[in-house]
Amino acid sequence: MRNVAIIGVGYTPVFVSKRKDVNMVEMMSEAVDAAFSNTNLKPEDIDAITFGNMQTFEGLNLPHLWASEHIRALDKPTIRISTGGTTGMSTLHAAYYHVASGMYDVVMAVTWEKQSEGDSQVGLAGIVMPEAMVMVQNGMDLYGGRGVGGLGGGSTGAASYQAMSYLSHYGAEVEHIDKMASLERTNASKNPYAHLRKVTTVEDVASTPFIAWPLRFGHTCPTTDGATVAIVVSEEKAKKLADTAAWINGIGCCASDPCTGNMIEGQITDPADQQACVIAGKKAYDMAGIEDPTREIDMAELYDGFAHQSLLWCEKLGFFSEPAHKMLDKGALEIDGEFPVNPSGGVFSTNAIGASAMNRPTECALQIMRKIEGEHQVPKKVKTAVAHGWGGLFQYVTVTVLGDKPRKR
Amino acid sequence: MTAKQERVVAHSVVPIDFTYNYRVGTYLEKYIQGLGQKKILGMKCSGCGKVVVPPRKICGMCNLTMEEWVELADVGTVENYTVGHVRVDKGLLEKSDPPVMLALIKLDGADALLAGEVRGLKPEELKNGLRVKAVWKDPAEDSLADLDHFEPAGKGG
Amino acid sequence: MEKQVAVVAQAQTRHAADIGMPKERMLFELVKGLFDDLGITRDDIGTFVICSNDFQAGRTISNVFEDTPIGAYMKDETKVEADGLWAAMYAAMRIMSGNYDTALVVANSLGGSEFRPYLVMDYQLNPTYDRQLGLLNELSTAALQARSYMDRYGMTETQMDRIAAKLLRNAARNPYALQSKADATPEDIAASEYLYEPLRKLHCYPFTDGACAVLLASADRAKELTDSPVWIKGMSSSIDSYYLGERELFGSRSSRLAAERAYKMAGIKQPADQIDVAEVSAPFVHQEPIITEALGLFPEGSGGSVAERGLSEIDGAMPVCPSGGATGAHPFSAAGLIRIAECYRQLTGQAGEAQVADASTAVAHGQDGFCAQHNAVMVLSSEEG
Repeated sequence: MRNVAIIGVGYTPVFVSKRKDVNMVEMMSEAVDAAFSNTNLKPEDIDAITFGNMQTFEGLNLPHLWASEHIRALDKPTIRISTGGTTGMSTLHAAYYHVASGMYDVVMAVTWEKQSEGDSQVGLAGIVMPEAMVMVQNGMDLYGGRGVGGLGGGSTGAASYQAMSYLSHYGAEVEHIDKMASLERTNASKNPYAHLRKVTTVEDVASTPFIAWPLRFGHTCPTTDGATVAIVVSEEKAKKLADTAAWINGIGCCASDPCTGNMIEGQITDPADQQACVIAGKKAYDMAGIEDPTREIDMAELYDGFAHQSLLWCEKLGFFSEPAHKMLDKGALEIDGEFPVNPSGGVFSTNAIGASAMNRPTECALQIMRKIEGEHQVPKKVKTAVAHGWGGLFQYVTVTVLGDKPRKR
Repeated sequence: MTAKQERVVAHSVVPIDFTYNYRVGTYLEKYIQGLGQKKILGMKCSGCGKVVVPPRKICGMCNLTMEEWVELADVGTVENYTVGHVRVDKGLLEKSDPPVMLALIKLDGADALLAGEVRGLKPEELKNGLRVKAVWKDPAEDSLADLDHFEPAGKGG
Repeated sequence: MEKQVAVVAQAQTRHAADIGMPKERMLFELVKGLFDDLGITRDDIGTFVICSNDFQAGRTISNVFEDTPIGAYMKDETKVEADGLWAAMYAAMRIMSGNYDTALVVANSLGGSEFRPYLVMDYQLNPTYDRQLGLLNELSTAALQARSYMDRYGMTETQMDRIAAKLLRNAARNPYALQSKADATPEDIAASEYLYEPLRKLHCYPFTDGACAVLLASADRAKELTDSPVWIKGMSSSIDSYYLGERELFGSRSSRLAAERAYKMAGIKQPADQIDVAEVSAPFVHQEPIITEALGLFPEGSGGSVAERGLSEIDGAMPVCPSGGATGAHPFSAAGLIRIAECYRQLTGQAGEAQVADASTAVAHGQDGFCAQHNAVMVLSSEEG
């Protein structure tokens, strides 16, 4: 099995709520230029391109078509990947397979979202609205005890079920979500590519009102305009083109059932159960040769649209021998702690959805290569990092294990 | 079981309508402002020398950001065309009577062809090589609609 | 190609204007049928690659409700948009990596009953400019492309009618096709009304509900699953500029580049001699000569003459779309995957009355975008070689 690495990353200069100065393809071109600049590569060095975003947010179908010139894809093998929230990592995995297959040596993965072009709940409502409307039209009562009231607020409503279940299963309190939120926003203040960068105390978070208990306004992520590009290469090319690399040593993906917490079609599903995460994590660990995740991993970048999710994913990915919220209490999850979680600020601080699941492995890669631009480089040496993404109706999970050395064959 | 209970619902119609608010970017913004002044602006790539219209940021073949603005003539030559007997409106076909005439026009000074509607002639008169001239909306609205359509250049002298 | 991948099974719905059942059931029956025919279950599938389109499906993340019916529950899956041929290439790469032995590719679209394909295409337009002007749409752009080819090479409308008639006749020999006419003549085509000149209704694809599933396997696994695996010898894709006014519409640069790369992988130096049958995605019949010429199957500009001489008929020198192609059925995301499925039927001698004699090497093509802006090519052979 061919070894594959990330040798470079390009971000748009900023990740903000509204890029008023550029259209979508111009925004993407910025991240592509940054990737070329950071790796000293040119379009002729790129063998193929993988491309992804969550298109309903912009109302633009198959955006790789309009974007072909601006992402420098002309005359190149190009493929579009689209899997919802996991798109960023799915697009990176596609680039991984382009190289691992032996067909290509240098592949550029381009992910982005320009959420300001559409109503921010547009894309998410697009999943549940067709089902909900059909039910309403056929006389089904959605409001009586079915909990669809939770659909109000889009995925926040659904996430509140997950948060409540998480707290109940693991014995954590709302205060832990407040703490995790504060930790990540404070991390983001050190990251020039983060969106919400205000240093935020636990009190600041706790003073925000609840949307749906136990989730507060202060626990939710923003919607962001931004793009992320990764350059993915074979082992031979990594040696030729770069002085350091972050090796993609394990990948895993699992699709669970598309039911969101007791809501649709009467399925009883606990959105905090997340077997898909456990399975995807195990696949990635097996491929990477990780036998004990409590000992062999140095840090993680986790997809947390809501602050409780960082703690939930820590549990499901088996990072610790004690509960994640106790590790949080001990300060272990801080940037300078024993197991930094989301030193970038996570999705919780920056959420250009199509890019969000690729920012997790790109941040891990930059941490491993010690090429973080900004103040959020973790001080400890990162030999192994785990990147995670989720999407859909809480049912898709992708996991990537990155390392400072290629996997032993 | 009554007849009512046996009824099977075959289809459900779900109307979904989202509104988007697109940023056009600085290149198209300047182009639109130009139209408001009855000017058609293109961009020239410093690498290949190609002049494109409407203007955009990147020349893909050269991997360059385009920077040179070019004012194009508002006359050009039809290089391709089609006569539409239908219109496509939200994905549905509607008869178009009179037929709509669409052309790809090479404006004097440009290399890229500009799509435009042509009026003021019979469909059988629409041919490659026909010289056409822009017809402007008056008063201008500062929108893409300011370049209303094209008509044969010989018309009206 | 180092790590061999083979097609071991295909399944298609009987494509229809209205498939008459929910999408989930359509997909379940399709894939269950494929599994039952092979004597396998979803436990035997390593990874799933779905191809469908959010705008067509009217929901974000269209694969959310497609996973379970195709057996991907709690398994590895992903989704490609663009077209099913790309999904198949990606699935093949997953097997070539050594991570998986089997990959199921499932593509579908309810372009007949669920949502309007022309509008699905409209959403691909640059929303800041082309969608505002309202001049370009799937039909008007295709018409410009047809005119471009006809002006340059002198192909006449009657010759274009011959291509459409051939496809309708071929479709009559295809049990999956939705639109067909066993004795179709050019006059039948000319009797259909003009949409955007020179395109008439019967030059254009029918709105189709349909799905296709193709199972790929690594060499060893393929031989366990079937006695007649069809080997992927080469595959690639390429993309052109979006800007129609800057493209040469009478040819297809990206088809030519994709084919050159695929042929190189496959060791094909004389495609016109070495390819026995071609299945190309041509939702508008004038695209058949444009694409097949770019694939090196016919001399440049010879579309009219090829049609007159019947060279692309099932019993011709270079049969093209013995399935009836997109004229017979064209479910948006599934189109290119169906071309692979049809090549598989040809190369395994299962094409019935559409069977091309002694076919051992085929080329499948898929496209994406206005006037085939984006193209993919796959070379398949019954010989392991």
